[in-house]
This record gives sequence, C-alpha cells and structure tokens, in this order.
Amino acid sequence: MTALSTAFLFLILQFPAPPQNVRAYDTPNDAGNSITITWDLSLDDSVVSRYEIYRSRGEPSVDSAVAAGSVLRGSTKFEDNSVENNTPYFYFVRARADTLYADSKWSAAAYAKPQWFHTGRKSALVILIFFGILLFYYLQKAKQGAELYVRRIAGLEAVDEAVGRSTEMGRPILFILGLGFVSDIPTLAALAILKRVSKKAAEYESEVIVPCYDPVVMTAAQEVVKEGYMEAGRPDLYNERNVYYLTADQFGYAAGVDGIMVREKPGAVFLQGLFYAESLILAETGHSIGAIQISGTTAVTQLPFFIAATDYTLIGEEMYAASAYLSKDPLSLSTIKAEDVAKMVFIALFVLGVVLETLAVITGNQSFHFLKNWFALF
Amino acid sequence: MRREVPLFITFISGVLLVIALFIPHKPFGNLEQRFNDWYIIVSGFTMILGIDSLLLHHWNRFKRKREGWIYSIALILAFFITLIWGFYSGIKVGSPFKPNSSFLKYFYTFVFVPLQATMFSLLAFFIASAAYRAFRARTFDATLLLTAAAFVMLGRVPEGNRASVYLFGIALLIAAVILLLEAKERVSTFEKLIHYLGAIVAIVLIYILYRVLPSYLPQIADWIMNIPQLAAKRGIFIGIALGGIAMSLRIILGIERTYLK
Repeated sequence: MTALSTAFLFLILQFPAPPQNVRAYDTPNDAGNSITITWDLSLDDSVVSRYEIYRSRGEPSVDSAVAAGSVLRGSTKFEDNSVENNTPYFYFVRARADTLYADSKWSAAAYAKPQWFHTGRKSALVILIFFGILLFYYLQKAKQGAELYVRRIAGLEAVDEAVGRSTEMGRPILFILGLGFVSDIPTLAALAILKRVSKKAAEYESEVIVPCYDPVVMTAAQEVVKEGYMEAGRPDLYNERNVYYLTADQFGYAAGVDGIMVREKPGAVFLQGLFYAESLILAETGHSIGAIQISGTTAVTQLPFFIAATDYTLIGEEMYAASAYLSKDPLSLSTIKAEDVAKMVFIALFVLGVVLETLAVITGNQSFHFLKNWFALF
Repeated sequence: MRREVPLFITFISGVLLVIALFIPHKPFGNLEQRFNDWYIIVSGFTMILGIDSLLLHHWNRFKRKREGWIYSIALILAFFITLIWGFYSGIKVGSPFKPNSSFLKYFYTFVFVPLQATMFSLLAFFIASAAYRAFRARTFDATLLLTAAAFVMLGRVPEGNRASVYLFGIALLIAAVILLLEAKERVSTFEKLIHYLGAIVAIVLIYILYRVLPSYLPQIADWIMNIPQLAAKRGIFIGIALGGIAMSLRIILGIERTYLK
C-alpha cells in the first residue's frame, strides 16, 4: 500500500457518518411560519462538532439550499422559524467535524401552517369548561338566595381586630403590597384587602400608610384607599400622600419599608401580595416593633417565613378568597363554593390516578396511564 | 358609564386572553405579548407619577422637619445628582447606561451593589431569630417542625451525618437524665416505672442512632423534602391555581370590582 492510499484511507475514516431519518414537519400548535426538523444522531456523534441544517424552497436542490441554522452535537431537533406558510420546503442535515462533513438525505416536503386550536391544551379547556359550569351553577344558586357556607378564615377575621388595636394605640396602619405588579392576581387580591382595611381605618379615624414598589400599583392603591374612605363617609380624612412610591429595587424597597416601620411604629402591619427574599426582612422588623402582623401571599417559598414571623397568615388561595369573604357578597361567595367543589373533584381524581398508576406498575398494562397522560397534555 | 366602560374593557380583554390560550393562529397567538407591550408602555409613563410621589413625599418630610428628615434630603440630592450625571453621560458617551460612563459604573459598583448586599445579608440574622421563635418546642406541631428541620439541615450539610450522632445523642442523653431525675421525685410506682422505661428507651435510641443515623441521614432528609414537603407544597399550588381561576373569573365577569373607582 502506497503512502498516498494510506493517507486517503485515513481521510475517509475521519469523515463522520451522516445523520439518518431526517424528518421535517409543520411545528404543531403554533401561529405558522415554523417547520420542525428531527433526525437520528450520526454514528460518529462524539467527533461531530455541530449539525448544520440546510433548506431548499420548492424542490430539493443543493444549488438553491441555504443554511437554516445549526445546533451542537447531541441535538436531534431544530425549529426553523423563518419560513413562509403553505410553501414546500426540503431539508438536509450536515454533520460537521472541523473541515470534514457528511450530509444526510433530503427530507420529504414540509409545509408550515398556522393552527386554529392548540391540541396540547385540550385538558385545560375541559377543566375550564367544567369550572365554568360549576361557577354558573353556584352563581344561579346564589341569585336564588341559597345560603353558602364558607369556613372561617382566622387571618381575615383578624383584620378588624388589627385595625382596632392600631387605633387604640394611636398608631398608623402599614399596608405593604409587596413586589407584585397590577397584572398579578395576588396584587389584585391584596388591593381588595386594602379596601377593607382603609374603610375600617376611616371609620376609626386612623391613618393608612401604603409604600409602593410599582407606580401603577401606587395609582391603583390610591384609588382603592380613597374609595374605602368614601364608603366609610370620611373622604375628608383621606390623604393621597400616604400612598406613595418608594422604589422599584427589591432591597431598596425592603430598606425603605423597614425605615418606615422603625420611624412610624405602626400598630398593625399588613404584608399582602407577592413577596420574594425580602419577606422575612420585613416580617421580622414588623415583629421587632411589636406590631400585629397579618401576612398573605401565593409565593409558596415565602409562606414558611410568614408563618414563622407573623401573627396570621393567609395561605395561597385564602388570599384570593379575601374579597369575597370580607364583602359577604353572595355572588362572590358562590365562586369560592365552586372552587371548593372543583377541589374535591381534583382530590378524587388524584386518588383515582394513584390507584391507576399503581395498577399500571403491578400489571405492566400501559393503558392504565391514560389519566396521567391526559393531564400531561397541558 | 363610569363603571360600565372599564367593566366592558376588562371583560373583553379577559375573554380575548382566555381564547388566545387555545388559539395559536394570528391575531390571537401573540395577543398576550401585545397586551404586555401595552402594559409596559403605560407603566413607563406612570413612572413620572412615581417620581412625583416620591419627591413630594420627601420634600414634605423635609419641610415639616419630621423624624429622619435628613435622609429625605439625602434622597432628593442623590436623585438629582444621578439624574444630572445620567444626562451628562448621555451627552458625553452616547448613553447613561454604557459601562464606560465612569460615574454610573462607580456608583453601581461601590454604592448600589454593597447596599443591596448589606440588606440581603441581614436575612441571615432574621432567619436565625425567626427560626428560634418557630422552633421553640412548645407544642406538638413546633416539636415536629424542629425535628424535621434538624434532620433536613444535618442531612444536607457536609459532615452533618457525623455531627448528627453527637447532637441527637446529647439531646437524648439529656432527656434520659431528666427522666431519671423526674423518676426519683415521683411517688407512684407506675409513674416511676414509666420514667425509668423512658430513660432506657432514650439510651437504646442513642445506640440505634449511632449505628444507623450516619448512613441514613441524607436519605431521611431527602425523604422529608421529596415526600411530605413536596406533597404539602403541591396541595398549596393546586389551591392557588383554582383560587386564581376563581378570582380571574370574578374579575372578568365584573363580580370583583375592588380595583375600580
């Protein structure tokens, strides 16, 4: 064997094997203009540096092929988001190892199309319809005058007590809305509690201080407090300057609120809304000044801090129930009733799921996974 | 009309966003992003209201010489110095946010970051004080919390499994001594017997812990985190999700109107 043929053989051996089974198809559940390409890894994936994806419009031609993108070795999927709808595209994948490469065969033609229904969200739609039916059923019952029982929530029962105590001590009430924006549901729930607190404070001729993290929340809070004072028949006591903007920096906000607590020494502190790492800094400072504290958040990671450091805590959904619970409005209460029934149904489904999954493990029958698979759709 | 128009806008916006969740086709597909863009534009303008509110608040504090008014002066000065320097940097280097804007870089590195770090580090002390109150074993729940926390903490720190033998061992030894001392003061033979039995159980437990705990502590900690802790967390998550749906429907249908004037 000559030196030339040895070198040639060596060169051949260094070529990576091409990727196999290249498939191109319309990306499911999207607004169009996207084709997904999948392939089987090259047998020499360990020496491949990247996979380059090429596309050709109209017909599979190397001359008209353009690069659509590239992914690192080990990847078997690429989404081409720069294609036109209803136009045939052909793809091939190039396994590249430095200057050497190997091309796959062309894929079949693929057409990008927008979809009118997100099939991956079927289960969510069914749950929404089920919840909607429940809600309308209980709304009708409430309209017919049916009495709806909602369990006692200690944290909400203590709202009036906290405002009263603060008034007796001659101290203001501090309402902290957290780091949420007005588009966050916990912030809206907190505003509902703020309205009740403002109304009570107005009745007792007490002062409510609301330092805000977001200017939009500040504007909404000003309106809510004003409305509370007006409902109590004391608009003269409302002071817009007590609801003010502090900062949009997390720890700057924590420092500012701590300063307010130490200077103003409020008799009651409400921590309601979305909180992150600053939750305990605020709650412990509130505890150190001897204020009665009522907290509430849906941030699960902060709940243990609030439970440890404050007097009452509204855990997750209790916060959402606050406005209905405090207003005692039958229509609002009916939504909580619907929510409770939905919860019972879910608990039953979970038990059923556990039984089915256990059966699947014991019998090895994959059809028992149907419930899990259905929920996994979302 | 003052209430009806906002309620109508809320209803339409809410329904459109719910529909958009299930229809990827244009114009629904990118509706949420578009609404978010609008929100960002509106909130950008409200920043002016925020600055007005902040400066007026501190100006009034200064005027009325309320407690800590000196800090209000510091805030107003810092605000205007940053603003003026920002404009100056903008003219000089093209943008106040470029890294070669030396003042803002200096301010960010040597003032802003240390202040944030200081506030964040306070958390360590607050965690200690809150944990002290929460872990005082006054009730059965608090004792359970304390025990679970001890297992998790020791199971997740280096050398925790070795240290745990001594910590739990000392705790059990103290319990055994207390039981023995208590037994002496008891009159009834039955009570004495119960106390002696308790002390023996505590001592036997020390031996069992010595043999078993070092190898199983990380698994116990993982079990606590993955089974009871996660189950409780998921329960809360489900409640929050359902509560969120109920609250959203209340707002969309106009039942919940607290946010309206």
